[in-house]
Amino acid sequence: MGFRLILDGEEHEITIIRRRPHLVLDIDGEKHEITDLGSDGDGRHELGAAGQAVGFARATHGNLQIVRLNGRTHEVALVDPFSDAGDAGGALDVLRAPMPGTVISLHCKAGDAVRRGDPLVTIESMKLQTLLPAMRDGTIAEILRTEGETFDKDEVIVRLEAESEKA
Amino acid sequence: MTAPLFNKVLIANRGEIACRIMATLKAMGIASVAICHRAEAQARHVRMANEWSEVTGETPVAAHLDIAQIIAVARKHGADAIHPGYGFLSENAAFASAVADAGMTFIGPDAKTIALMGDKISARNFAEAHGVAVAPSVMPTGDVDDFVEKAAAIGFPLLIKAAAGGGGKGMSIVRDAQGLAQAARIASGEAERYFGDGRVYAETYVERPRHIEVQVLGDGEGGAIHLFERECSVQRRFQKIIEEAPAANLSPALRDEICASAVRLASAAKYRNAGTVEYILGADGRFFFLEMNTRLQVEHPVTEMITGVDLVRAQIEIAAGHGLPMTQDGVRIDGHAIECRICAEDPERDFMPETGVIRYLGVPEENWLRFENALTRGQKITADFDPMLAKLVAHGSSRDEAVDRSIAALRELALLGVKTNTDYLAAVLDHPAFRAGDLHTGFVAMHGDALLPASLSGQEKAQVLAAAALGFREFRDLVTGTPEPHAAIGGWRN
Amino acid sequence: MRKIQSMLSTSSAEFRAYEAHNRRILAEFRERQEAARHKRPQRDIDRLARQGKMRPRERVEKLLDPGTPFLELSSLAANMAYDGDSPSASSIVGIGVVSGREVIIRADDPSVKGGAWYPLTVKKIVRALDIAMENRLPVIHLCDSAGGFLQLQSEVFPDRHMAGRIFRNQSLLSKMGVKQLSLVFGHCTAGGAYIPGLSDYNVIVRGTGAVFLGGPPLVKAATGEEVTVEELGGADMHTSVSGTCDYPAASEEEAIHIGREIVAQWDRPRKWDCQRETPEDPAYDPEEIYGIIPDDIKKQFDMREIIARIVDGSRFHEYQPNYGTTLICGFANIWGYKVGILANNGVLFNDSSLKGGHFIELCNQNNTPLVFLQNITGYMIGREYERRGITKDGAKMIMAQSCSRVPKFTVMCNGSFGAGNYGMCGRAFDARFLFSWPNHQIGVMGGDQAANTLAEVKINQMKRNGEAVDQAAVKALWEQTRSAYQEQLSAYYATSELWDDGIIDPVDTRNALGIAISASLNAPLGDPGYGVFRF
Repeated sequence: MGFRLILDGEEHEITIIRRRPHLVLDIDGEKHEITDLGSDGDGRHELGAAGQAVGFARATHGNLQIVRLNGRTHEVALVDPFSDAGDAGGALDVLRAPMPGTVISLHCKAGDAVRRGDPLVTIESMKLQTLLPAMRDGTIAEILRTEGETFDKDEVIVRLEAESEKA
Repeated sequence: MTAPLFNKVLIANRGEIACRIMATLKAMGIASVAICHRAEAQARHVRMANEWSEVTGETPVAAHLDIAQIIAVARKHGADAIHPGYGFLSENAAFASAVADAGMTFIGPDAKTIALMGDKISARNFAEAHGVAVAPSVMPTGDVDDFVEKAAAIGFPLLIKAAAGGGGKGMSIVRDAQGLAQAARIASGEAERYFGDGRVYAETYVERPRHIEVQVLGDGEGGAIHLFERECSVQRRFQKIIEEAPAANLSPALRDEICASAVRLASAAKYRNAGTVEYILGADGRFFFLEMNTRLQVEHPVTEMITGVDLVRAQIEIAAGHGLPMTQDGVRIDGHAIECRICAEDPERDFMPETGVIRYLGVPEENWLRFENALTRGQKITADFDPMLAKLVAHGSSRDEAVDRSIAALRELALLGVKTNTDYLAAVLDHPAFRAGDLHTGFVAMHGDALLPASLSGQEKAQVLAAAALGFREFRDLVTGTPEPHAAIGGWRN
Repeated sequence: MRKIQSMLSTSSAEFRAYEAHNRRILAEFRERQEAARHKRPQRDIDRLARQGKMRPRERVEKLLDPGTPFLELSSLAANMAYDGDSPSASSIVGIGVVSGREVIIRADDPSVKGGAWYPLTVKKIVRALDIAMENRLPVIHLCDSAGGFLQLQSEVFPDRHMAGRIFRNQSLLSKMGVKQLSLVFGHCTAGGAYIPGLSDYNVIVRGTGAVFLGGPPLVKAATGEEVTVEELGGADMHTSVSGTCDYPAASEEEAIHIGREIVAQWDRPRKWDCQRETPEDPAYDPEEIYGIIPDDIKKQFDMREIIARIVDGSRFHEYQPNYGTTLICGFANIWGYKVGILANNGVLFNDSSLKGGHFIELCNQNNTPLVFLQNITGYMIGREYERRGITKDGAKMIMAQSCSRVPKFTVMCNGSFGAGNYGMCGRAFDARFLFSWPNHQIGVMGGDQAANTLAEVKINQMKRNGEAVDQAAVKALWEQTRSAYQEQLSAYYATSELWDDGIIDPVDTRNALGIAISASLNAPLGDPGYGVFRF
């Protein structure tokens, strides 16, 4: 298994070949010996690479590592290949009620383009109001309940246009 | 030890300049009072001050421009003087008056001088009247058509500027009659927005102009000296990014001439305080008065480094009525100094301001280096204030050494978490034209592409990727979290 | 500890002849292993590709931490059974590192007969789970099997150590706190459904993964109900309705990724504190082992030369160097771990048996794991030795060895015959791991001896019956006995039947033992029973 990193808009593959007597990395198919990892965390470190010490500074900034090396600053992102783990497939096309309740208000209408996380419907159940967000980016195909209507657990409340319909 | 010149000084500013002023106050045994907007309550200048108070306003900048509030804070703390720093209220005559009216000392010129020099037109007239060369120009008449006609008469190219203000706001270059009227209207609109005064004027635009300025000290009685010149030709968006002292390739005769001209102006104005007379210098050696800044300049450290004079201390001594700290003969140039303004901006996107959070700050430490800043780790960089984050000022025995040292320091400086122009500045310094001293205000535009970063070598890429990968928790755990003897055995298969 | 001074002459004709002989044996081993691992009918390879499935070995490789070892166990299981229809007994078992944790991985191989379990598959799985229990090693199951091979159900299903044992072991592992994770890549039908069902964590791949007690055809036959695989036991049903599975995955890659994340949550093991030094490579080249093992099992060799090519720095502290010299005992380090080594240098006499028993007790007292290097023709027989109590002395060694609380490891280096196999911790004595070299032979006696013995019995029988000795019949019996023995004596037969945990290249012995010792330390040491008896 390897890691994918993005530097200057280009994707790179990096994996570990060996750890002893020192780390050997495979970066884009080429071997690189790392004789000194430098310490962990943000700050100034020294990397022993190809038998040579390279000083650099590094900081974590959100999903990025900011690396200042050789008088240049670079931003490197880690690609998470499964950021939607467990969410993929047809299940994403419909918004189901997580519990029985009543629709308090609708925040979208059919035909609306929505982004993942946008509020779609506010429901009330067991005296608690819950905002149900869009499960993915897409277009509202149909809203099956109006304000004031009740529903059971797992009933479909909003349907998004299937991914294939967009194409 | 004699009694301090003031008991307590309020600094009506923030950031690196507030810290810079406090350092001198501390050395002089004077207590300091800081002001800050709520957003900056944890800022370095606040923590560095002996006392501090919050100032409120719709925006952080508005808070720093609220004269009545600042005077009230100064009173509350029992300050006996106010230092305005640069920007904000530093060239605001009303503020200077208000400070004086409140019975405190304004560390700067009197309100009258500020008003005189603050208006480009009156300043220009004053300069012209006292034998300081000015560029042919045309004044606003209130009627755009009339203005356009007169301006066209002095010939192109022309520079359109706001009458009140500076910093490049409301400025444009016009090369032919067609663009003139529109440029005048746009400039006027911008001037109205930024300075509340829509008057603009036009003057001869000097091709390949160099920006040369002279640091002066005046005692307010007509006594004035200069501390030599600075060159601030490397600019982007009409704002300086690299300044140096002395100017490169300036003949001693021309230097004397320019410096004498500045002293003449300061003396005639009975100028009190440290001030800067700005000139535009053409390739032909002709120079014209541009404006006079009646305050401490952002780039004052380069002068301090080559003369050994603490300009803030000089300001305070003059304000306290102690007169000039030295005679002209006592000012000597020692070596060369260069200042680089580290700004939160993206040189690859037309120097657009950037925001972020300072995740790591690694500053090189050398006895030839000053890193003027008020930055702290974790500090948010917002669009509330000017994008300038810090100044890196290096001294060398020669210009070459100062350039080399500046580049080395810029390369080592690590300010991570917000995009800055650090690498761009190093590229400018390292450009053959800069090293040759072939400077003019169009430097950045002319050498634009050559100043952008070269693509990385495979080796460099690998180093960056390895360094970055080891910063990601997921990867580092995988490197270091392998039990023994498995880590030692490695990728063996039987 | 002193460095062993090798007496080996690598330039001798003998060395070169032995080396050539053993390299031929090794080449055959590698060839058989390669075939068992990779040789599959093209239609099966195509079918997997069509289903978007990875080959099982690819799954294992992607699951492992990069740049870490994988000690594969029993790669040639079932190699002499079922006409070769079940390479590696249709499964991959091995020890590796996943998310920084030592685990045992067990993967079905859908590229042979849909991953159906043959009797030896079941034996291999049960052994894997026994290893997990004995060493407290977390288990990762990579499930993709059609279920039991129905034609051989009597050898798969009913007995104590057959399929049910898998689920019994899974249950006990969980009770012991040893974690199990199943990644369901294919179908888990009938009993197979209990593998994810009894795992503490499981992940199922949408589309290809399914878990059910009876598949759609069985359901149709039993109740007439028509149901799709997805409805009956697909990823979405099990992860959102039945709760049988924990995590749905969109692809095999994602299932592996989720699996690695799950393992990363597991508490790290607290191993017992076996004495450990900084590892050192052997001072002598391990490949020289090929020139040490003779080309004839009857030829003797000095086991110290082997030890010198396995242990750290070739350093060895020999215990009782002048007593019972046919059994070498002493302390050494392997990948840094302190071990007590017992290695045969000839037949076991009274004194060597007593020395062995005594040394085993010392290691138990000292919390030192035991390594047995077998090359044994047995305990000495004959009137004189019986009079001296060879049986009694052998019993002491077997008793001390059987009751050891420290983990034991056995390497079958050349030959293992008769009761010597018992004293030297043969398969029945629960060595945590037992490996064989490809040249090794094992049996109650050698082929010649067995043929001679049976021929002798036959002749005596004929003589008793007053018949003339039929030399042709005797010779036929001799030939038949010898050839049957010869086949069953071979390391391939032993490993096919899972009498060991796999054949290894002698050069790999050090790594295999290092990983095995490390794994064994997860299980706590028992309490000592007695002090050290000086027999």
